[in-house]
Amino acid sequence: MMWTQRIVLLVLGLGLLGLTLNLIRRRRLREEYAVLWVATSIVTLLFVLFSGALFDVATWLNLDHVVLMLLIVFVFLVAIMLHYSVVISRHSEREKGLSQEVALLKDELDKLRDEVRQPPPPPVEPKPKPPSLRT
Amino acid sequence: MADRPNQTPPEPSFDLGGRRALVVVPAFNEGEAIARVIRDLKRHAPWADTVVVNDGSDDATADEARAAGVHVLDLPVNLGIGGAVQTGYRYAWDNGYDLAFQFDGDGQHRASLLAEVARPVLEDQADLVVGSRFLQPRGMTAYGLRLLGIKVLAATISSVLGQRITDPTSGFRVAGRRAIRLFATEYPQDYPEPESLVLLVRQGLRVREVAATMRRRRGGQTSIGLWAGFHYMSKVILAVLMDMVKAPVRLEGEVAS
Repeated sequence: MMWTQRIVLLVLGLGLLGLTLNLIRRRRLREEYAVLWVATSIVTLLFVLFSGALFDVATWLNLDHVVLMLLIVFVFLVAIMLHYSVVISRHSEREKGLSQEVALLKDELDKLRDEVRQPPPPPVEPKPKPPSLRT
Repeated sequence: MADRPNQTPPEPSFDLGGRRALVVVPAFNEGEAIARVIRDLKRHAPWADTVVVNDGSDDATADEARAAGVHVLDLPVNLGIGGAVQTGYRYAWDNGYDLAFQFDGDGQHRASLLAEVARPVLEDQADLVVGSRFLQPRGMTAYGLRLLGIKVLAATISSVLGQRITDPTSGFRVAGRRAIRLFATEYPQDYPEPESLVLLVRQGLRVREVAATMRRRRGGQTSIGLWAGFHYMSKVILAVLMDMVKAPVRLEGEVAS
């Protein structure tokens, strides 16, 4: 691999790694979501260190080494996007559950509030228990 | 506009055998229709409690419903029909109801038919009963392309489930205890009516259809336009096929009572 290519990859890999680590350090990015970005930057750096292996695999697959590199990067990007879809699905499921919980709790709260405001029932009759109150 | 009294007479003395029934009314911007729907329910089904699930409406739906004297579950954001209906099922499960009806807030369903639809559940013949517009020719309220779409959808779902389903998009239904429990845990979000049938059958629950006429809708908007119908149909079929490969839902613990 030409030294200019190595330098460009080295800068890109280190840059991505530094950016990701810095975002984690400043708590702007949770580790859970950073794993794939760190992995991507490490793979980029591996290209620089083991360019011989890259050439071998490229020859074996009958591909140009640049095409192989792009292919690997592409696979990582697809993995990251798939990961995002999973995360988004999980979040919308949680948002749905939380919204429902809010609606149910608000209703429960209204019931309790009405109960508190009502004058106490005569002591002879047992106080009617609203069906929603779980013990 | 009063309900024409030509259907089954009001059944205020309907015998539930000591079981408790809840009518879940999902409503999104039904401020104009909701009060009439609740009056209809109070007249024909005084044996059931009613809860309106207000799906983040920007009109007076919640106020109208409260003024009509029923409980309102106010969703803080618009979840769509699936999320709204599931809120009702969670309420039904939490409060120990034995029957949970689904009844649209736009006035197209007939409260006078609730008792009839509930019968197979009460007799333990089914876990979910769907009020079908197509089991008798009189009940049909769909025409042209929409009718064709529903027919294709019904044929697909029937063959997938190995059971004849004539009206998979009907939102007029009643769930028994087992179905309430399942729906409180898992309820489809995208196309809930047809998808929930697949979910039920795959979980080993029994689905039955009963003939039910419906009114032409007044007030509110249909969720499906004529030309969007084909798009809708193909997406539902895709969703149903995806439901077929999903892992079964595991419910925690045992069924109460």
